[in-house]
Amino acid sequence: MKRASLVVLSIALFAIALPARADATPQIQVQIDGDTVGVGDVVHLQMSVSSPDEMPSDPQIGATPGFAVRGQSASPSQTHIIVNGSRTDRFTLTVEWALEGRRVGTFAVGPPSVVVGGKRYAPHAVTFHVVPAGQAPARRAQPPPSQQLPFGFSPFDPWKGFFPGFDSNDRAVETPPTVTVDPKLSLDAPRGPLYFLHATADKTTAVVGEQVTYSVYEYIDAGASNLEVDEQDVHDPTAADFLKRPLLREDQEAGLAGYASVGGRTWIVKLVRRWALFPLHAGDLVVGPMSIGLVRPRSVAGTRRATETIRVTVTEPPLAGRPPGYAVGDVGHFALSAQVQPREVEQGGAVGVDVELSGKGNLPNVLGVPAQEGVEWLAPEVHDEVGPAGHDEYGGKRRFAFVVRVRRAGDVDLGTIALPFWDPEQKKYDVAGARVGVVRVAGSRGAAASRGSDTSDEMLPGLPSVREELGGQTPQRRHVDDSPLFWILGVGGWPFAFGLAVAGRAAARKALEAWRRRSRSPTADLKQRVAAAHAACASKDARTADAAIVRALEAAAVAHAGVSVRDAVGGAVAERLERAGVPQPAATRIAELLRECEAARFAPHAADVVTARDRWQRAQGAIRSLERRA
Amino acid sequence: MMRRHASHTRGTLLGACLLLGLSLALPGRARADEDPQALFAGAVKALHEGRAGDAIDALEALADRGVVDPAASFDRGLAYAMRVRIGVEVPGDLGRAVQGLEEARDLSRDPRLVEDASHALGIVRSEVAKRRARSGDPAEVDPGRSLGRSVAGLLPEDTWAVLAAVASAALALGLFVRWVVRAARARVAAGIGAGVAAPVLAVAVAMALAVRHDRQNLREAVVVAASARPSDERGMAVSGATPIAEGARVEIVEVRGALSHVRFGRIDAWVPSGALRELARPG
Repeated sequence: MKRASLVVLSIALFAIALPARADATPQIQVQIDGDTVGVGDVVHLQMSVSSPDEMPSDPQIGATPGFAVRGQSASPSQTHIIVNGSRTDRFTLTVEWALEGRRVGTFAVGPPSVVVGGKRYAPHAVTFHVVPAGQAPARRAQPPPSQQLPFGFSPFDPWKGFFPGFDSNDRAVETPPTVTVDPKLSLDAPRGPLYFLHATADKTTAVVGEQVTYSVYEYIDAGASNLEVDEQDVHDPTAADFLKRPLLREDQEAGLAGYASVGGRTWIVKLVRRWALFPLHAGDLVVGPMSIGLVRPRSVAGTRRATETIRVTVTEPPLAGRPPGYAVGDVGHFALSAQVQPREVEQGGAVGVDVELSGKGNLPNVLGVPAQEGVEWLAPEVHDEVGPAGHDEYGGKRRFAFVVRVRRAGDVDLGTIALPFWDPEQKKYDVAGARVGVVRVAGSRGAAASRGSDTSDEMLPGLPSVREELGGQTPQRRHVDDSPLFWILGVGGWPFAFGLAVAGRAAARKALEAWRRRSRSPTADLKQRVAAAHAACASKDARTADAAIVRALEAAAVAHAGVSVRDAVGGAVAERLERAGVPQPAATRIAELLRECEAARFAPHAADVVTARDRWQRAQGAIRSLERRA
Repeated sequence: MMRRHASHTRGTLLGACLLLGLSLALPGRARADEDPQALFAGAVKALHEGRAGDAIDALEALADRGVVDPAASFDRGLAYAMRVRIGVEVPGDLGRAVQGLEEARDLSRDPRLVEDASHALGIVRSEVAKRRARSGDPAEVDPGRSLGRSVAGLLPEDTWAVLAAVASAALALGLFVRWVVRAARARVAAGIGAGVAAPVLAVAVAMALAVRHDRQNLREAVVVAASARPSDERGMAVSGATPIAEGARVEIVEVRGALSHVRFGRIDAWVPSGALRELARPG
């Protein structure tokens, strides 16, 4: 009864208080999750601003001496409440900064500020003490972010808190665990909201057979509630190029690996897979992603989270120093021991050889036995005690129980069982060996007889004898056809030369013809005639000079006017020239000159060479005028 | 005082000598381990003493060191065959024996060694065929070479090359004579010469190129597992395909991850790379 009246009183006070709180000045609260922080640790500074008028905006942290800002998240919210017809609004902006301590000292951070109604408000600076890494006192984990309620409680659940234990979610909120963040689990950024997977490998380069420890962690937001993954939708990573050996029991609940600070939030980190992977061959090998589907909460329902794809570069161990009998893949650190029972046996009888192989790494399934004639090693019975050895190593013991039949009499040395391996820690080869020792074999007539019958159906009879000497490395021999010159000259050269000859001859013919054609051209003819006329006029024979002048003029008519006047008489010369486009004065002049020359040539009296030379002067003028016209 | 000094000097000298001796002895031992001659001698000794396992270890170590020698390959083949014969056979030993002997036959220019290797190959392959026949599997271990390869293999590469050069010269000469000379007889003779030289040139060039291509690119291997089941390139077994027998010599077309694309007679499929051991090629 008393409690019920208290609730009613609270509601009344709440209703009265509402108008009083709704003033224009924003309410600003600054909170930190610790004032002492180690170098490299992250501290959170939270500023919550409420205003009845508008949403606060542009939050700024201000100066951060001694710190680096690792992240900022802002959560705006609005509340509208109507009581008795009166409406009240509340706009709240919650901003959180993740600050990483960078150097030792005491620093004033901020003041953080925010803009409300066009005015910037800055409450006060916050003082932090940064101490050397690892010396900071343990801080309480950041409480899970809850919806910021402007009035301290939800109007839809006013009874919350009055009845302890009534609300099932209260427990998680009331008792946030005290956690220490492990920097090794930190990441640059979360791979998804609320929940994500992250895969790691302890090495990115390995030799064939060397253990690569592969781990998958799940990161759960410490503030997430009702998170549920779809257990039917879990897909393990693919690692087809590796021999996979689990280092964890996968049928059990994932173990807590620690807490991490990623993107300014605290995450619970659990180890879900840890495998020892042994590369089966050299190359760039891939471990595919592991994926998982989410069912709840609703905001992430139906989405998937997947790990990174891991790549491992795998090589073979070096050839230098590799011991005889080494099998690629035998990597680790191994030891062998052997026991023989009994040491004395009859010929054809058997002894038991127990060999124990122990160590770290992928223990070989098969041991090379010292095979020799007269000693038959039967297939061994193998007993395994192999599994996870320590936190992230794989190894144990493997026992090989051999039965060895000895067909020879006398002291038979069974030899030594040896296992060469590559030690990745020492980066060198080593050999684990176990001396089997000598067995005394008493002769037996029956066994000798059966041995004799065995040889009659001997397997692979008639093999040739072994070679005692190395033949020498086969030298890299050069072949005739390795040289391009062989193909160019030796094979292609002859047909090419023939083709060249054919083409050359054709080209020569073509050139000759062209030259001949050129030498028969009217222009060339004119040149010859002009030269002849010059020569004739230089002599004292006037008739010859006149004949040469006539030929030069006829050649000029052909070359420059394209018309032959050779057989033309009288006015036909001028007529033909005019038809060919020669102006009438020039045509008449040429006709005149031709007539004068003909007259002089066939005149009964002796011709005057000086007159002939004068005609040649005029004829040259006529030829030039024809040439210019052309 | 002087005596004490002398004894101190003697001690220092002794220590230095010991260190020097040790430093000289240790690399010497390492060198002996690495020395191919010593490894081979050890292997031969082990073979004579019937210690097939030790011989195999030494000869494999020799191969690991990159020694390509017909005698070493021959002895390695014999060592694996011996391990089968003395009854401590490891699966794949017959195939490994075939691989060593095939390699010796390919590498050697000694006719005696080639003959011995061929003889031993016959013995080992007979054993493989016998076992397969017993288990009802097809016993084909050597489908023979294709016609083209058989023809190309009739003559050495250099002979094909020289023949091509000679045919080329003869062709050119024939054509030239036919072109230049006017006498009918000479023209006919030159025409016949060119007509013969042209196909010879074509064949010789093709064969020389084929042999050269094989020498430079052909990769062959021997199946060193009880059998190699043909699969597709995803590793899914080809239904109805006949497994390739142990000791079969196959042509490697491509290697992709843990699978190798091989040709063996009419079979053109993928098999696990681990089931094959490649043959060293002659220089």
